[in-house]
Amino acid sequence: MKLERHPELLDRLAAEYALGTMHGGARRRFEAQMRQQAAIAQAVARWDARLSPMAAQLPEMAPGDAMWSRIEQRAFGAAGVAGVAAPAARAATRAAPRAAPSGARSWWQRIFAPLPAGALAFGLMLGVAVPTGFELLQAERYEAQLPESYVGVLAIADGRQGLIVSSLRRGKALDLKVIRAVPIPAGSVAVLWTIDAQGVPQAVGPLPALPAGSFVSVPLPQVADELFARAVELGVSVEAAGSLPAQPSMPFVYRGLCGKLWKVPPAR
Amino acid sequence: MTDDTTLQALLARVALQDRAALHDLYKVTAGRLLTVSFRILNDRGAAEDVLQDTFITVWTRAAQFPALRTSPLAWLTSIARNRAIDVVRKRKPETPLSWQDDEGNDHQHDVADGSGSPLDQLLTRQADGRLGDCLNQLDAEPRAALKLAYFDGLTHEQLAVRIGRPLGTVKAWVRRSLLRLKDCMGEMA
Repeated sequence: MKLERHPELLDRLAAEYALGTMHGGARRRFEAQMRQQAAIAQAVARWDARLSPMAAQLPEMAPGDAMWSRIEQRAFGAAGVAGVAAPAARAATRAAPRAAPSGARSWWQRIFAPLPAGALAFGLMLGVAVPTGFELLQAERYEAQLPESYVGVLAIADGRQGLIVSSLRRGKALDLKVIRAVPIPAGSVAVLWTIDAQGVPQAVGPLPALPAGSFVSVPLPQVADELFARAVELGVSVEAAGSLPAQPSMPFVYRGLCGKLWKVPPAR
Repeated sequence: MTDDTTLQALLARVALQDRAALHDLYKVTAGRLLTVSFRILNDRGAAEDVLQDTFITVWTRAAQFPALRTSPLAWLTSIARNRAIDVVRKRKPETPLSWQDDEGNDHQHDVADGSGSPLDQLLTRQADGRLGDCLNQLDAEPRAALKLAYFDGLTHEQLAVRIGRPLGTVKAWVRRSLLRLKDCMGEMA
């Protein structure tokens, strides 16, 4: 189907592609069409520009020292001194395994084939003139709003923070950030417990290995609200692997308050 | 961050196969692109591989950039994000979240990224300006779903599991939220 003739559908698909929710065969087919139809690539580019300010707000990481050398080697060839055309062609082959075959040139190759320099200059002029999503970065910030969530900051035995546990209130995934790791002996496993107002523990389930500094997510057997609604505290004990006792068999290695982060209606 | 005009000029030189321009472009954008990839992959080695692929793609395809009429950083970000999404979706079937061993014991595996969690959302600074204002006009849950999809590269199905809502509801949220964002932000050239 020529998506260019269906602008509303084209825009919707472009939005889903840019957001990243399109997947599997649909994603591959859309990419194949995008290589052939300029209107699709432009629609996706507009959505990329709308959404990209989100990515620009992540704390920036530094690439490793050797990274540029590796890119240089791949882009320009092993020696890095050969002519540009041949290494570039080799790099193109590596970088674009799904590129269109030579008989079916993509839209941008067709656009630029007759007058590369002129077309480039024209495109650059348009690029400078149009407003871009990136400009949005200069505007005012807005406050973060935390969705309804359970959050527990659990301490280790000496009272220092050890583990942060969180889940969306109606989510089925539990996120764990390990600040200080507690050694788990071989043949044992860490088990998460809820502790209600009467001090009664209830096992939630075993946790994966939790090395210091790790940030892992595990699926919950039920929606978080069903597991944590009555919890006032959370604890982690070390139990024999493969067993799930009714009560912790040893003192908790992590323990802390279970916070419920949403507005509670005032008591009547 | 380097402004759009500078990045456009660098991309124009890269399109003419200027190696020094690619290096200059790398110096001013590599950190940002590595961050985007890492956020999706939660694996520094894999994120650095994606970064390499991104700059190889830029080297070979910079000539198509002007016709897209978009911002340079949005284009570069989309290359890195889409490559990272490809990698993470190929990888996921090889690393199941949970499995049972021969003795019937349940095991759970670390997954790619716990981001999008309340903690992470709290720590992550939010997007700015028009996009920020428009995101704020969405209801809380659809807004959270949109951010999870963008930051973590989740599909509709993964979103539904993550936030514990029916697949149809999540699809409708995403579709309506994107439409509202577009209306709110206005048509872009």
